[in-house]
Amino acid sequence: MYYVAEAKADKCSTYKCNQCVLFCPEPNTLMFLQAKNFAYVNQARCKGCAICVYVCGDLLKRNCIEMVMTTVSE
Amino acid sequence: MGLEYVRITTGFEDYMPKDYVDLVKYGQFGKEYDIQDLGTFKELVEEHPMCAGCFMAYFIRVFYASLPNPEDSIVIGTAGCARLQLSQAAVPFIYGNYGDTNAVASGLKRALEIRFPDKNKDVIVVAGDGGLMDIGFGMTMHSWFRRERFTTIMVDNEVYGNTGGQESGMSPKGVQLKMAPKGKKFDKINAVELAKAAGCVYVARIAPTNPKRLAKTIKRAILAARHFGPTFIHAYTSCNIEYSIPTEKVLEDARNREKNDFAFYEWMSDEVKGFFEQVETKKKEAQEVK
Ligand SMILES: Cc1ncc(C[n+]2csc(CCOP(=O)(O)OP(=O)(O)O)c2C)c(N)n1
Ligand code: SF4
Ligand code: SF4
Ligand code: SF4
Repeated sequence: MYYVAEAKADKCSTYKCNQCVLFCPEPNTLMFLQAKNFAYVNQARCKGCAICVYVCGDLLKRNCIEMVMTTVSE
Repeated sequence: MGLEYVRITTGFEDYMPKDYVDLVKYGQFGKEYDIQDLGTFKELVEEHPMCAGCFMAYFIRVFYASLPNPEDSIVIGTAGCARLQLSQAAVPFIYGNYGDTNAVASGLKRALEIRFPDKNKDVIVVAGDGGLMDIGFGMTMHSWFRRERFTTIMVDNEVYGNTGGQESGMSPKGVQLKMAPKGKKFDKINAVELAKAAGCVYVARIAPTNPKRLAKTIKRAILAARHFGPTFIHAYTSCNIEYSIPTEKVLEDARNREKNDFAFYEWMSDEVKGFFEQVETKKKEAQEVK
């Protein structure tokens, strides 16, 4: 079990913003679907640093992304 | 070379790894993306073993997304954390011996100018503070004295991160590190002023707090080196492991350092300034025509 980020698509899409995506240290991990205006996490690549949570929660006060527990899927 | 090496041979499309197909179809080759488009295209770097929340890893991510011409770029790195990611990108990477990066880059750039006289080949060194300002100091300085036309980027985590926390010339005065418990006795080297005095035509100091500015600075350093002479970026790229910064506070730390001793600083020669003014006027005119 380990932590990964998970974006709440419904809430995120209301802000038309991609700020957290621009600060994730990992390439091809925190993605943005332009057609629907929301961020989503490629969880197999997420290292669980929570910088995205700092950007969306602490800096922007939007709280649309959180850390969740996951297990390795085979 | 150029774009040819990122094409898939006809008939092999179905057999190539998905990441490679994505790179060809949705990647940066032959296109210019804005840094604000991150997350909507396939980036040049693949998964890499740098630590979670490492801001050096973040800097390198933005670096690759900012390359003006990835298909004609060659990156040189060395021992230290950065190479763990530099070696995982779809851009040719050369591992210079520790300390040798700027000598290797000098030879490579000269050879490329002879081999491809009608092309711009960008050579960029990305190495740590230990690699460039301590052990590689002589070779770094002499490449600048000789006015070699390539870019040097120092990813400064203020410690020897890869070998477990020895102090470097770039560690701040007074700081105690795991393998330097007595505390640093002298000041951080003023790398940016050294670069200016040694002949760099463009120098910048930056903390990675603003992706747009970061991308612009990286592009400028590469373009100025292409046409005028050596360029240098001193980037603050914290090591959350050796400096015990909780990963979720890494950006906050960079913002604080920017307010204190890492304020954005950019200097360029008059010639380079004139060149960017021209480029920007042309860009504006092109946009107005559209
Ligand atoms: C000639 C030589 N001396 C020493 C080493 C051992 N070594 C590997 S990485 C490193 C320190 C790296 O520190 P820095 O350049 O600041 O990069 P960081 O890992 O902090 O990013 C050292 C001393 C080596 N590989 N080669
Ligand atoms: S910062 Fe928040 S609102 Fe903006 S894209 Fe990320 S999750 Fe969505
Ligand atoms: S937790 Fe870290 S690695 Fe994962 S998506 Fe957020 S910023 Fe990226
Ligand atoms: S040791 Fe420090 S600089 Fe190296 S990858 Fe880890 S956090 Fe980054």
